[in-house]
Amino acid sequence: MPTAPVFELEGAGIRYGTVRALRGVDLNVGRGERVAVIGPSGAGKSSLIGLLNGTLVPTQGRVRVLGRDLAASSPRELRDVQRRLGTIHQQFDLVNELRAVHNVNAGRIGSWPLWRAVLSLLLPREVASARLAMERVGIGGKLYARTEDLSGGEQQRVAIARVLVQQPAAILADEPVASLDPARGREIVNLLHDITAETGATLLASLHDVQLAMGRFERVIGLRDGLVAFDAAPARLAQGEIDTLYALEHK
Amino acid sequence: MTPPVRTPPADFVGLSDLSLREVAHAGTGPGRSMMRRACAAVAILATLAALATAARHNVVRASGAPLLVQFFDAAVHPRVDGQFLALTAKAAVTTLAYAVLGTGLSLVIGAAGGVLTSETWWRQGARRRHLRIALGNWAVSRAVLAIPRGIHELVWGLFLLSVLGIQPLVPVLAIGIAYGAVTAKVFSELLDETAREPYTALVALGVGRLAAILYGLLPPALPDLMSYAFYRFECAIRSATVLGLVGAGGLGFQLSLSFQALRYNEIWTLLYALIALCAAADFWSAAVRRRRAVPLRAHVRPGHDRVRTGSILAVLALIPFSVWWVGLSPAAVWAAQTWDLVGRLFTQAWPPSLGGEGALGLLKLSAVTLAMSVLAIALAFIGGIFLAFPAASRARQDAQGRLGKARRAKRMLVYLTARALLIVLRAIPPPVWALVFLLVLYPGVLPAALALGVYTLGVLGRLMAEAAENLDQRPLRALRAHGASRQQVFWYGVIPSAAPRFIAFSLYRWEVTIRETVVVGVVGAGGLGLLLNQQLASFAYGGALATLLAVIVLTLLVDFTSAVARRALH
Repeated sequence: MPTAPVFELEGAGIRYGTVRALRGVDLNVGRGERVAVIGPSGAGKSSLIGLLNGTLVPTQGRVRVLGRDLAASSPRELRDVQRRLGTIHQQFDLVNELRAVHNVNAGRIGSWPLWRAVLSLLLPREVASARLAMERVGIGGKLYARTEDLSGGEQQRVAIARVLVQQPAAILADEPVASLDPARGREIVNLLHDITAETGATLLASLHDVQLAMGRFERVIGLRDGLVAFDAAPARLAQGEIDTLYALEHK
Repeated sequence: MTPPVRTPPADFVGLSDLSLREVAHAGTGPGRSMMRRACAAVAILATLAALATAARHNVVRASGAPLLVQFFDAAVHPRVDGQFLALTAKAAVTTLAYAVLGTGLSLVIGAAGGVLTSETWWRQGARRRHLRIALGNWAVSRAVLAIPRGIHELVWGLFLLSVLGIQPLVPVLAIGIAYGAVTAKVFSELLDETAREPYTALVALGVGRLAAILYGLLPPALPDLMSYAFYRFECAIRSATVLGLVGAGGLGFQLSLSFQALRYNEIWTLLYALIALCAAADFWSAAVRRRRAVPLRAHVRPGHDRVRTGSILAVLALIPFSVWWVGLSPAAVWAAQTWDLVGRLFTQAWPPSLGGEGALGLLKLSAVTLAMSVLAIALAFIGGIFLAFPAASRARQDAQGRLGKARRAKRMLVYLTARALLIVLRAIPPPVWALVFLLVLYPGVLPAALALGVYTLGVLGRLMAEAAENLDQRPLRALRAHGASRQQVFWYGVIPSAAPRFIAFSLYRWEVTIRETVVVGVVGAGGLGLLLNQQLASFAYGGALATLLAVIVLTLLVDFTSAVARRALH
């Protein structure tokens, strides 16, 4: 069954000054797919995610998200697309000084008028759905805790709860478990899986942990030097391909 | 994730806005002895030249000596009858109200201007394609704010007085505009220094720029912003007093009346009230700002900090009270007549005219003004060295030392005296000092330099004392362990490590002092400030504009020289 693509890249590339982080990537990700992106440091994983969520603009090629060309869209259209994408970062990128409830609500203030966002900082709005999201990620009791008082794993759960209240069409995760120990990392990946399974959202996660990528994702993309080295189901990947991906020098 | 490392609380006391980081690093670079010697030689020569300028004509008004004696004699018997005390209390509340409202307005201007002049705002507003345009806009927005910032609040006050006449709006607007522009710069720099990742993450979620700043940048920056706001409030009390001197009401106005009538006992009552007000603001602001320094303990969360929350509530309650007390009405701002006057004022001021004395006269007065600032800062620097160490908290050293009770009590006494002296010196604004010195000195460089010098000593002495308290104790302990005497430890350990900071602080205060020369000029001490006041009073707006431009050029020159010197000393 052909699924409508959520992400479409055609020869997309990005260059920072003289450094070419991505050098022409073609990629299609459909609705409900769960994709892991692996590759050595500097392969372009973060740049790829930046292209997909609209924070980076391609210097070559085209990026279409949810059927819209991001480079050609107005700021308003871009924001409309971004509201339907949830991004999770390695460093969580939460506001430490705020209570968890505000960080969760931050996922939604894009669709609130400004006065409501201001008011909510004093009197939290839409607490019920924020609590629901926090309960879903397993830390319902920490709704009013200051974010910096939470542990690393809990903070990442808050970040996921923030994505949940967005009810996103797709979740992008940039090294979501790199700052956590292996056991907590697995829990977080499992949580992301369950959530996308429940909501039918697409999941695209970049990972350092090859085992995790091979074990829990239906599709694995290998990036190296800004190019797609392979793009296949884990079962169809040979160990040699992965070793080559991480080899220090190209043979 | 480890939380971002918090830099130690920036103490904004008296620094000419920002570049605090530079101060913190002052003196840590490799020694550039040649450059340092050259700077020292220039500084000494400049001071001598300034002294020569000051002593060019007869400076001492011998006939004033009995007045000075009477003046200080009155210090011990101020006027304390009920009627005058009531008047003083009312005037103090008025000054406080102006300070509150002026600071409030400056915070509104500063918050809006701070966001609009932050790099983050412009950079994220445009995506990569338009980045160059966006950064251009950013530079323009900064430049626009530089103009009101370069003009002293007293000059704003004089200008507003000629447009609006005497009314409560004048001091509020003058403080609000001048402080607002500075606050905007500080706010924008604080916002730009805050970690940008949470903000970027919010933008990636499709959150608008304002809401993203509100949720992503403001919470981490808030403690520093608040700390700065309270520091500004402390300054605003002095500014409100100075604006009172030119007719805006409050303690300053009463002071000017009593000075004109030479009623010294009244002057002292008012001065004591001013000192009390300033000391209270000083302590309050320090208490709020110290909260920033206390490391977060698990059970005391900043959100539940009683001092901070209480202070915010107190300020919020003070605002409506102040509006009612001074009878503030913003109607004049949008009255057609006001703007008509502004328009006429500008057409009269353009083109700037050099007046009777010509360019040479203006140049001469600029040199005189420069001499005032140099002498003032030299005086404050030397005085500061003498006062800083007694005024530095000795608690730590005393705990280590085995001092007898008598010695300890003596030290405590010295410490308290030095601290109190510094508070008094900085509580009394420079123009009031100038009025005192003008009793025995003819107008010119000397009274102005003395007035600015003693006031700056109050500010600089406190900064230096804090630097002396924060000296690294380890090298000093090592010296003591080698058997060095107290004097030796002082000259070999304390002075070398404190000197770079002392000099950096002094250079900063020099930048502030050149701006303040206008203030002492206005009360008649001389220099460009005196000329400007005379020109405004005689409606010679073309000349006033030329003088104002000279002031701005001089200010920029001093800023530049100070920046070069600081870099050389790094």
